Amino acid sequence: MVEASKPAATPLRAKWFNGRHSRARDVLIVLEPGPRGPALHLHVVDLAHAASRRFEYDEVEWPPQWSAGRAPERIAVALRDHGSVEIDQPQAWQQALAAAGARPGLAQRMQTRWPVLLGVLLVAVAGLLAFYRWGTPWAAAQLSRHVPLEWELSLSQQAMAQVDQAWLKPSQLPPERQQALRTQFTELLARLEPSLKRYPAYAPRYELHFRRGMGPNAFALPGGTLVMTDELVEAAAKQGLGDDALLGVLAHEIGHVEHRHGTRLIVEQGVLNVGLGLALGDVSSLVSMTSTVLTGLAYRRQHESESDCFALALMASAQRPTAPMADLLLGMSQAREGRPPAAQGEPAQQRSTLGDWLSTHPATPQRAEMLKAGAGASSCPR
Amino acid sequence: MDSTTQRHGIAAYQLRFSGSGGEYFRVWIVNLLLSIVTLGLYTPWARRRTARYFYDHTMIAGSPLEFTAPLRKMVVSFILFALLYVAYKIAAETGQDTVVSIFIIAAALLAPYVWGSAMRFRLASTRWRGLQLQFAARWKDVYVASWPIFLMAAIWVGITYGLDVLSADSTQAARPPGGRPGPAWPRVDAPMWGLIAIGLVLSVLCIIRVEFNYKSLLVLRAGIGKQRGRWKPVYSDFVRIWGATIVVFLAGVALILALAAGAAYAVQSMFSTVRGPAMFVLIFFIAIAAILGLVLASAPARAYREARMFRLIWSNVGLSQIARFKCDLQHWAFVRLRIKNILLTLLTLGFYRPFARVSEYRMKADAVTLHVKGGLDQLVGELVRQQDALGDALADMAGLDIVG
Repeated sequence: MVEASKPAATPLRAKWFNGRHSRARDVLIVLEPGPRGPALHLHVVDLAHAASRRFEYDEVEWPPQWSAGRAPERIAVALRDHGSVEIDQPQAWQQALAAAGARPGLAQRMQTRWPVLLGVLLVAVAGLLAFYRWGTPWAAAQLSRHVPLEWELSLSQQAMAQVDQAWLKPSQLPPERQQALRTQFTELLARLEPSLKRYPAYAPRYELHFRRGMGPNAFALPGGTLVMTDELVEAAAKQGLGDDALLGVLAHEIGHVEHRHGTRLIVEQGVLNVGLGLALGDVSSLVSMTSTVLTGLAYRRQHESESDCFALALMASAQRPTAPMADLLLGMSQAREGRPPAAQGEPAQQRSTLGDWLSTHPATPQRAEMLKAGAGASSCPR
Repeated sequence: MDSTTQRHGIAAYQLRFSGSGGEYFRVWIVNLLLSIVTLGLYTPWARRRTARYFYDHTMIAGSPLEFTAPLRKMVVSFILFALLYVAYKIAAETGQDTVVSIFIIAAALLAPYVWGSAMRFRLASTRWRGLQLQFAARWKDVYVASWPIFLMAAIWVGITYGLDVLSADSTQAARPPGGRPGPAWPRVDAPMWGLIAIGLVLSVLCIIRVEFNYKSLLVLRAGIGKQRGRWKPVYSDFVRIWGATIVVFLAGVALILALAAGAAYAVQSMFSTVRGPAMFVLIFFIAIAAILGLVLASAPARAYREARMFRLIWSNVGLSQIARFKCDLQHWAFVRLRIKNILLTLLTLGFYRPFARVSEYRMKADAVTLHVKGGLDQLVGELVRQQDALGDALADMAGLDIVG
């Protein structure tokens, strides 16, 4: 036990509890620069034979600094098996620490300095946005490669049974009309070139079903099950549009299947639930849930645009026009809003800015415009 | 400083929390940001920082509490726990029912063990005046203390059996002639309601007993060195508090219902002409208001129970013959504080939470006084090696807070 304090460092008066007794001993503490950080030198003064001991940087539980201006009135420093030291002069302790070359970690710098906190805030916001804009969709697209087709098919079977029970009735279209549409659907599938496929090894089993109920609609289930409602066929007929409009819609649904949007959505929702729950759950479950729902909707809209682009490419490959599909969409949205088909344009565009965040599909006028532009549409990747 | 009074060699020290909402907000926001940046991996560090903030500012007889959990153990157990959680999530999302039920059954069977190791970890991580606290219950003690849970299961098995017998009688007696056989809902008549009510009452009594057993076990087996905890409350104290809580809850529900009826009347008269999409918006807002109302109706009751329980326990525990605690927490003041905190937290979308937490912690801590006979210097401790921290990570996920 050798006294080794440097003259530069002023000793701090403190109380030492040895871990076996609650009785305090008066000690002097000196903080010295060490190889990895400050070392703590403890010197017992109220014993006849002066005892002292040096604790290296990693033998001490260094208490964090909570505020730049204010300190707890008494600081406790745990020395593992050697009890704890209590310091009455927190300011002097902080100064001695700094003088001994203590480097505060990132968390402590964020805690005591506003600029550091703001910097990390910016990084966090940018990171979050990037993660959810690119990271999650990318990961979902990669993970979906490993999801077997059989799993998708069994899932779709269950979903179809549920939907049939709850919402849908058997189709009332004449069988020959159904057959005509199915034949054209098969022809369309024959035009699906390998270059259009997002997952080249993915071979879904396509089936086209007709149902009544749910209004004019069409949807695709993972694995290749497509459903078109009678009301959609009738809506096309009422607008005087040919089968090209319906085939355009089917091409869009084939796009969902080929891009495996159903499976990707499940994976994305999983990542979102866990990720945003961890990140924002501590703020409140309301904030976390809202962000999950909003981000989930953003992914849905992304999927819709992807499918629109796919439909454009497939229809071009089948040498069919996409303008009828655009007319069908526009006509349907106007029928929904109960307005004459002539009143379109500005009002719809203005309304879309807020609605964009809250809808599953991109705004209809923009979609229709893009579909009318045909395969050369600028928003689609080549 | 500490209010110290000397009488018959007994000194009184008021506990004091010297933290501030603003400072803890910084702690919290730093934890939040670093958790986001590290995709949640920062969680064990964050937990440690939070615990340290509250411990550092909790002064007992002039000395702060110290939180000394080894970081490495916290991190390892967090990762272990995260892996378990992800495995469970994957099993649940991909519909592997067998695996999911194995997980759930294992969790239920291990719950007492988890509670025990969480308490062991928490107390062994706490020091005061250099002395380490400890929790000396063996896992067998914890399972024995859990007997009311098994009794509750047995009661419900019995009630299900009784319901079967009763329903067989009633369907034979009361089937309408020519009516459709096999109704979608089984008929429930007065004796069956009575049986269910008895089951519910017994279940609540069992739950209270579990709480009592666990709390008393925690205090009796906790200690510093050779000095063990002392525990005076009895089961009927707990039952009384729960009874009063139920009355408060019903009063809260009645108040919320009265407010809702008034609001519904006002809304109806104002929006009697509303049609179409606006109606959906209206229904949406009414649904949100209903959820809010439920939370608000139960919140005073929960706060009431928490405060009364806190006061009961901290007025009736001590440490061997040396020390005992007194608590004068005003439960209605605590209920008012909780309601104010909930409203402000909702208004700020959750950003008031750190302030709320600090204010509630301060009200509780400042209400406790420590009475020590024979001076603070007589305690003798022993250092116990830190054990598993997995219990801590599990307890965290189960909502048991380190500071509470």
